[in-house]
Amino acid sequence: MTTATATNGFTGELTRFIRFFLQELKPRGKWLTPFNVISIPTILLGLAILYVRFTQGLGSVTNLNQQFPLGLWISFDVITGVAFAGGAYVITFAVYVMRVEKYHPIVRVTVLNGLLAYIFYAGALTLDLGRPWHIINPIIGNSYGYNAVLFLVSWHFLLYMLTMAVEFSPVVAEWARLEKVRKFLSGLTLGAVIFGITLSILHQSGLGALFLMAKPKIHPLWYSEFIPILFFVSSIYAGLAMVVFEGTISHRVFRSLIPKDSHHSYEAIILGLGKGAAVTMFVYYFLQALIFIHEKRWQLITDFWGVWYLIEVLGFVLVPCVMFAYAVRNRNIGVVKVAATLALLGIILNRLNVTMIAFNWYAEHRYYPSWQEYVVTLMVVFTEIWVFRWVVTRMPVFSKT
Amino acid sequence: MEFYTYVNIFETKGLEYLLLMSFLVLFILLLRYLTSGKEKKAAAEERRRYQPTDALE
Repeated sequence: MTTATATNGFTGELTRFIRFFLQELKPRGKWLTPFNVISIPTILLGLAILYVRFTQGLGSVTNLNQQFPLGLWISFDVITGVAFAGGAYVITFAVYVMRVEKYHPIVRVTVLNGLLAYIFYAGALTLDLGRPWHIINPIIGNSYGYNAVLFLVSWHFLLYMLTMAVEFSPVVAEWARLEKVRKFLSGLTLGAVIFGITLSILHQSGLGALFLMAKPKIHPLWYSEFIPILFFVSSIYAGLAMVVFEGTISHRVFRSLIPKDSHHSYEAIILGLGKGAAVTMFVYYFLQALIFIHEKRWQLITDFWGVWYLIEVLGFVLVPCVMFAYAVRNRNIGVVKVAATLALLGIILNRLNVTMIAFNWYAEHRYYPSWQEYVVTLMVVFTEIWVFRWVVTRMPVFSKT
Repeated sequence: MEFYTYVNIFETKGLEYLLLMSFLVLFILLLRYLTSGKEKKAAAEERRRYQPTDALE
């Protein structure tokens, strides 16, 4: 009798949830917006290109070859995208471990951003694998090497995605009005955060460590045995800059969803993030300078590659670092936003230099991404924004219900 | 008897040491710079604003 009642209760709850979910799937708001007009055709075209890619192979839509196996999809989507997702572990560390309550209002949206970035950008890895069905090999133990950096990175990607899903799950439970489930999931948050920080530190640096074996192929200005440390430190300010950038857009687009008291703390949050970015960029800049001197790179900065390197390090690290510091001291939010944009451009430039531009720098025939690669990259970004928008307009991401 | 009349700053890694020392000094200066000026005034103002009124009475 009791079992039958429990089954009926569960079925009733499940039916209610399915109805609720179907209701939530219905589109809301205006359809004819500039973003929709640009993103929908791009996503459709990207899907058509992916169909060709999976039926006729990588060579049919990309300019990749044996000499240039890493293209735009790996460089931008995976390597750069994962650095941008660094905000999730930095903010959760500040809020749940250091108890800096000032950043509490942005925890949910930052974790959501991180989760989606990993799902879409790290997920885009499958597009670039010649035989994508082999992606499961490191997980199921089929012909993998325990000592391989890629083994670490692939396991960490999987575990970190699951960890962020756990971190975000109380929001989903709150949205679905499952109070008992929400309480249970909230209890897991601190453990998940600590586990997530450990994973992040290791795989952010692990992504850099992947390039340690490519010493003869990477220009000596970008190759260094300290690449893992550089990747890790830069992921901290990349994440902070991304939170500022995303927060600025969200604050404008989703203004009505953000509670009024959060509007007041917005300035303090942005300035706090700017301060964190200034300090981290300062450390990163000095690490770059130390490596430069330690590896005696003086003679390398006289040609085109030297100028290109100086543009990256001075123009997109030192300049935004100074701008962040100036903006924080003078409480100038506008300058923080400009500095964040510059810092993000610097991260893109750095990751593309290591993986694509300064990779095989001596080659006679260079790699240039095909138009299909650009379209698919845009498709991944737009799809992520679509999912992000769907989630924040339905779930209590900016505020608790 | 030989004397050290010449010190190669590159061979002795002297530049690395100088850079590290300047980093430590500049890092402290940066932190001081970031926590002074308007930022410090604003933090003090914020503390004053959230101070309970009965404490002043």
